[in-house]
Amino acid sequence: MTYFLQLVVSGIVVGSIYALSALGFVLIYKSSRVLNIAHGQIIAGGAYIVFALTVWAGVPIFLSFLASMAITFFLAMSVERIFLRRLIGEPIISVIMVTIGLMSILDGIIYLTPFGSLNFSFPEFLPPTPISLGGVSISWTQLVGVVITAILIGAFSWFFKSATLGISMRAVSDDQFASMSVGISVPRVFGLAWAMAGLSAAGAGAIIGNITGLNFETLRAFGITVFPVVILGGLDSIIGAVVAGIIMGLIQQFAAGYLDGNWGLNGTADVLPYIILLVILLFKPHGLFGTHEIERV
Amino acid sequence: MKGIRFRGCMVVLALGLALVLTPPAAAGETYKLGLSLAITGPTSDAGNPYSKGVEDYMRLVNDTGILGDAKVDCPIRDDMYETAVTKRNFEDFIDQGIVLFLSYATGGNLALAQDFDEVQIPVIPASFHKGIVDAAKYVFLPIASYSHQYVGLGEYVAKNHKGGDLPKVACFIHPSAFGRAPLEDFQAAIAAGLKMEIVEVVEHGKDLDNSALLQRLRSKGVQYVLCQTVQSPVVTLINDSQRLGLTAQSFGEEGKITFLGAHYTGGNDLIALAGSAAEGFYWTTSYRLTSEKGPWTAWQLDLAKKYGRDEKTANSHNYTNGIMAAQVAVEAIRRTREAGQEVTRAALYETLNQMNGDKAYQPLTTVGPVTYSATDRMGVDTLQLYVVKDGAFRAVGEPFKPEYLK
Repeated sequence: MTYFLQLVVSGIVVGSIYALSALGFVLIYKSSRVLNIAHGQIIAGGAYIVFALTVWAGVPIFLSFLASMAITFFLAMSVERIFLRRLIGEPIISVIMVTIGLMSILDGIIYLTPFGSLNFSFPEFLPPTPISLGGVSISWTQLVGVVITAILIGAFSWFFKSATLGISMRAVSDDQFASMSVGISVPRVFGLAWAMAGLSAAGAGAIIGNITGLNFETLRAFGITVFPVVILGGLDSIIGAVVAGIIMGLIQQFAAGYLDGNWGLNGTADVLPYIILLVILLFKPHGLFGTHEIERV
Repeated sequence: MKGIRFRGCMVVLALGLALVLTPPAAAGETYKLGLSLAITGPTSDAGNPYSKGVEDYMRLVNDTGILGDAKVDCPIRDDMYETAVTKRNFEDFIDQGIVLFLSYATGGNLALAQDFDEVQIPVIPASFHKGIVDAAKYVFLPIASYSHQYVGLGEYVAKNHKGGDLPKVACFIHPSAFGRAPLEDFQAAIAAGLKMEIVEVVEHGKDLDNSALLQRLRSKGVQYVLCQTVQSPVVTLINDSQRLGLTAQSFGEEGKITFLGAHYTGGNDLIALAGSAAEGFYWTTSYRLTSEKGPWTAWQLDLAKKYGRDEKTANSHNYTNGIMAAQVAVEAIRRTREAGQEVTRAALYETLNQMNGDKAYQPLTTVGPVTYSATDRMGVDTLQLYVVKDGAFRAVGEPFKPEYLK
């Protein structure tokens, strides 16, 4: 039973981090129907800003964390303003191609810095001793990661449900022309969506960096790793990202715990989430919580 | 008659002058080499300091006249860990007339093995996969192969395991040719009498939490995990092991797990990334480390300082790795010149093959001499075991050669 509970806890921890990483995709897609392929690079950028502020500038890590989210908020907003604003109304494939180009540019910029090829780690700021309860353990880093994820996801959910700006963003997502006709500034909504995605990516980057260490390849890979989570949850659903993230985390842990190493199986933790993704998409092509749009001609 | 005598004198004088004034065949020449590796992209954390090691040693050669008045020119190209780019770089280098190629990744070397033999160019890779040597006769591994490192770790486990039972090990490997490289030889060593049992071979993914894996291994009685991968996955593994209270406090502690790893799993980066969780991690390589004081420490740190490298690079074992590959290449050129031969690909190949016996090469950077022959293209045969103690890798015992792998 302890073993099972440990897998559940580990699955929830990993799933929460997936959910936070996936949030950036969802926020941008929800408002602008654009898939940001450069999301992994923004995750890495956020982690490196926290590191630079903490280690090189000597700012306390919690302040660095907040500052990093603020910086990526404005950086992502600037990216939208410079590269994507002029593509409003253009075919979606053009916009996606721009985000692929953006990925290469961000890669290049990070490779020009020491972060592109060297490993770094955050200074230890949490107790190294894990919290253990009945044989089930969780590290402080993991616990803080789960709490931050919960806070951010709760805040974003409230924002989209209750705040005027959030409702405007949902309106733009539903129909840009109708939104404009009622006075909503579509470009402003797009900019804000990118900014919020940048903010969530910084949070995810800092948490992942604390767990794995700061290695660029590992960090940026999360942009792709969480893709099944985004698809499974439904591209435009925050709650979908959370549920799908936790489902993926649990599947991975159970596969690693019960299947791998038995009956000649190995690596099922990496494959099984994709198999389950395919099966679910057969029955729910828009994901678990994605909007099913019906167009009437 | 006078005219004939005069002309004869002029011819003799001209010949004499030609003999006196013509420089030795190799003087003033520039020898072209090429290095293609991942300065960006996957594994660039190893490739970056490696490239700096090669660059600095080549600069040292030119600045201090190690080759007399001859120079070396070794352009360095980033291949982003992509075999197609490596191939393009290699072909471009060949067009430029290089006499020796410094290569990098396992995949790239295996893919280009046929090309190396076709062009007949000596190659010194950063990968220590034994299969590359089997695939191309022009490849010279600088140090003991991954197979030797892995079997060497296994032998240490077998010799130091407490209790009468057979030590149970798990192989934690990178999901690639690089990760799988030593498995076959390791299994062969066990079949040949190395006393241990492989309980599981784990090809890792990009895991954020290894609780399930670690608890599964422990429930199967695994006491030793032998890693053949890069640092980052090892960091999450040993961090999680520490969190779950599974890490052995002393080698082979009953009911706990002792972690060991081959060359690319260790080094200062592992300690920097894993912190206290790295304590007690056993690691093997053929290189000397700057954390172990000796004449090599001052020499390497001086070289890094001379060319303005930061402390992290100066103390990186992959900086040492790059220096050593460049040392072997330059030493082959020096010996070829010394023998009065023209420095060509064929001549360097012969010189490298003769680097044995009293002609073995002893760079400061390794724990044993570099020896090659027509039947042995693995440079340093000896390995040194290190363990993390108080935040630094410390040598354990003397350099050794694996007994179960010849």
